[in-house]
Amino acid sequence: MGLKDILKSSTFYEILQGMSVTGSYFVGEKVTVEYPKEQIPPFERFRGVQCLISDPETGELNCDACHICATICPSNCIFIESSEGPDGTKQLDSFVIDLTRCIFCGFCEEACPRAAIAMTSAFEFCTYNKNDLILTKDWLVENQKNLHKELRKR
Amino acid sequence: MTEFIILIIKLILIIAVSVGMVPFLIYFERKFAGFFQSRMGPTYAGPWGSLQSFGDMAKLMSKEDLVPAAADGPVFRIAPYILFVPAFVSMTLIPFGPMDVDIFGYNVDLVVSSFDAGVILFLALGSLAVYGPVFGGWASNNNWALLGALRSGAQMVSYEISMGLAVVGVIVMANTLNFVDIVDAQAGGFWNWFFIPQLVGFVIFFVASIAELNRDPFNLAEAEQELVAGYMTEYSGMRWGIFMFGEYVNMVVMSAVISTIFMGGWRAPFEFLDVIPGFIWLVGKMLFFIFLYMWIRWTLPRYRYNQLMDIGWKIFLPLAIANLAVTALIISVV
Repeated sequence: MGLKDILKSSTFYEILQGMSVTGSYFVGEKVTVEYPKEQIPPFERFRGVQCLISDPETGELNCDACHICATICPSNCIFIESSEGPDGTKQLDSFVIDLTRCIFCGFCEEACPRAAIAMTSAFEFCTYNKNDLILTKDWLVENQKNLHKELRKR
Repeated sequence: MTEFIILIIKLILIIAVSVGMVPFLIYFERKFAGFFQSRMGPTYAGPWGSLQSFGDMAKLMSKEDLVPAAADGPVFRIAPYILFVPAFVSMTLIPFGPMDVDIFGYNVDLVVSSFDAGVILFLALGSLAVYGPVFGGWASNNNWALLGALRSGAQMVSYEISMGLAVVGVIVMANTLNFVDIVDAQAGGFWNWFFIPQLVGFVIFFVASIAELNRDPFNLAEAEQELVAGYMTEYSGMRWGIFMFGEYVNMVVMSAVISTIFMGGWRAPFEFLDVIPGFIWLVGKMLFFIFLYMWIRWTLPRYRYNQLMDIGWKIFLPLAIANLAVTALIISVV
């Protein structure tokens, strides 16, 4: 042990160095995000629960029940029922996503030719009842409010 | 008769102060632990989480009080309370203000007992405090508890020596063993306080007090990674809570003793600040030392056991003896 080491340990140099670090943390800004009160917004391509996109002016759904999303879905969690409408076009009767099966891969969004289905930023869907995870058309249309900002322009 | 009533009132006040500070110390410990790690600490219970320790208390009281079948029942039950007794008795020696004060027409000394051998009594009681952890660990009939108790005992006994020798320097300078007279010897401004001429003794006493309190970085007795919870392994519920409570009461007492011996006790740093009552100065100094304990705890990692013993026996003991010799030489020559 040299003279330098003795000087260092007798003046508590290294301990004071460490204490100055913790002291700067003590007065500095805290990194905690108090989750339920404040949130970090998910990143732009985050794949949360799906939504069905409707025309903002007419309120009509973009979806024309082509079944491509249900076909490409690797976990078979999309169930679509359609019928012939009064003017002879295909009409969407029900659009159900079984969230207990969904793996949030985003294939439905990529496959959709009319940009009618999209993944949103919503990720808080804890529930005590599994039936709440069977999402109906109305719920999915309502979920548009969680759509990512840059997708809303479309 | 009035003297007796005043004594009872003073005793109750002393106990109320030392126990009443503890919930807030636990809250501040948790809050500051957060701050030192760039976190928020408790925020939900009450404003800024200030009711956190009362919530903890309610939780601990509602938990099952378990006594292991193989444990030594009576000793196991009494061990947590042993920590309190020396702490309270030491607290009675600390002066909270000047002697012969006129309060509501009564002549009151602001100290419970102006005991002539106060420092000796304090050191003796400090040795008695070892029995809490040792009894707890022995009666638990558990390997970890026993090892923790042995470590705690060895650590307290070894640091007791350097601690006692560090105080002797002050005793030589003040020429008294009475805490009241030690404070009187530090009258005047802060340049008369003993931590300046006795800097070595002050540092030794402070570090040894951390070891006496079983706090980080010297909390070998409850090293989680090695000994689960040391001597508290088998304790649960409020009995465990009382152990923790006792440690914080000991922290209050130890900071009061350090402030009294080295930092002028209830005296103000400048004479023109004497208008502020001595009680507030003493509590302020105590809070300063408690904050320092917390700062050290949340900064430093735990020392290895041989390092702990090396510091105690090979560095602090010779240093304390040298400090005492130099002090005695200077006092006798000058």
